[in-house]
Amino acid sequence: MEEADAAEGPLPGIRPAHLLFVFLPHGASLALGSSISVFLNILFPLCLVFGLMVLLNLFLKPQHIAEFLGKRGGIQGVLLTVTTGIISMGPIYAWYPLLKELRERGVSNSLITIFLGNRAVKPLLLPVLISYFGWAYTIILTLLTLLGSLAVGFTTGALVKDQTGSSGPE
Amino acid sequence: MEIEAVPNPGSSGGSGAGMQVVALALSKKVNAVLTGYCSPTAERYLLSHDIKVFRGVSGVVAELVEKFKTANLRDHPEVIQEPKLIGARVNKPTLLQALTRSYNQFMNLLPILLGVVLLIGLFNAFVSREFVSLMFSGNKGQDTLLGASIGSIFAGNPINSYIIGGELLEHGVSLFAVTALIITWVTVGLIQLPAEMVALGRKFALVRNATSFVLAMLIAITTVGVLDLIKGLLP
Repeated sequence: MEEADAAEGPLPGIRPAHLLFVFLPHGASLALGSSISVFLNILFPLCLVFGLMVLLNLFLKPQHIAEFLGKRGGIQGVLLTVTTGIISMGPIYAWYPLLKELRERGVSNSLITIFLGNRAVKPLLLPVLISYFGWAYTIILTLLTLLGSLAVGFTTGALVKDQTGSSGPE
Repeated sequence: MEIEAVPNPGSSGGSGAGMQVVALALSKKVNAVLTGYCSPTAERYLLSHDIKVFRGVSGVVAELVEKFKTANLRDHPEVIQEPKLIGARVNKPTLLQALTRSYNQFMNLLPILLGVVLLIGLFNAFVSREFVSLMFSGNKGQDTLLGASIGSIFAGNPINSYIIGGELLEHGVSLFAVTALIITWVTVGLIQLPAEMVALGRKFALVRNATSFVLAMLIAITTVGVLDLIKGLLP
């Protein structure tokens, strides 16, 4: 209710957007037309995103991510962490409590960092990235982001001492 | 065997659901918990009360209890059945569950996405290319730094950064700056930095964010460099 009131502004029933159409009708029409055009451009990629979301939700449960993150050390551990980072969803802060717990269990700073870095790689959203920037750009950016997450992970692991017995990649 | 079935207080799966189940297990004075997943916190509580935890268990309750009684499980207090990262039987209920979950996730994403689309409309209508070129000078280094800085301040779903980046590109902003913005949007978080410090430690949060920021600029420069190289090689 409060949100609705705030959106209404000081005069009931009159929103800032309405004022824009009253005082700057040409600019407001241009803005609306541009927004519709942008939305139409992303409509098909958004449909693909929804389809990928359904597939992921069908075959993957969130608890699997927690189970596998930091389960093993070595290269296998890194690969599992990269995978879990990529498939993890939701806002980053929602993952902090779990990451804190896992670190207390001995998961290394490197793996925590690699997990966070790989959240930038989102297969679900690739249709939108491709529609704006093309295939070549998307592939290069994705590969470099993956490699970059490892570099940030190992750097952070080297600079910040682990809390307890590590299950890190070393 | 005497059986008592009780409703699962954590079936909603919301915040604190796991601890409600822990409280129930303690009140019923159980000896063991057989579960598909148990959070680290809940497991710690259960173990501290001498309740064994068997994770990764799935199937028919009666069969699992029978297995437990015949000591198949009791001899293996570790995870008895590793969950598969990918793999589930697809049937009508699971499909419906996946569709509902996806619909909810999509609906959560949509308001901000539509807000961004409307803002981009305003940006396109009222902000000229000249104004944008005042901010982004065309200098690769400065533009990349500015793009990375903007991405570090903003947070949220990366889809918004793709749309904003795509529109900035239309306004003549360099791909270096746009790429840096897209990377730091997710990997660097100034707004959530305090929360990260609290959860994972001050030094960890600062080092991770600083390293991610520097590397985002390097990745941006390399991405555009490689892309230009590929385009140069193609006829």
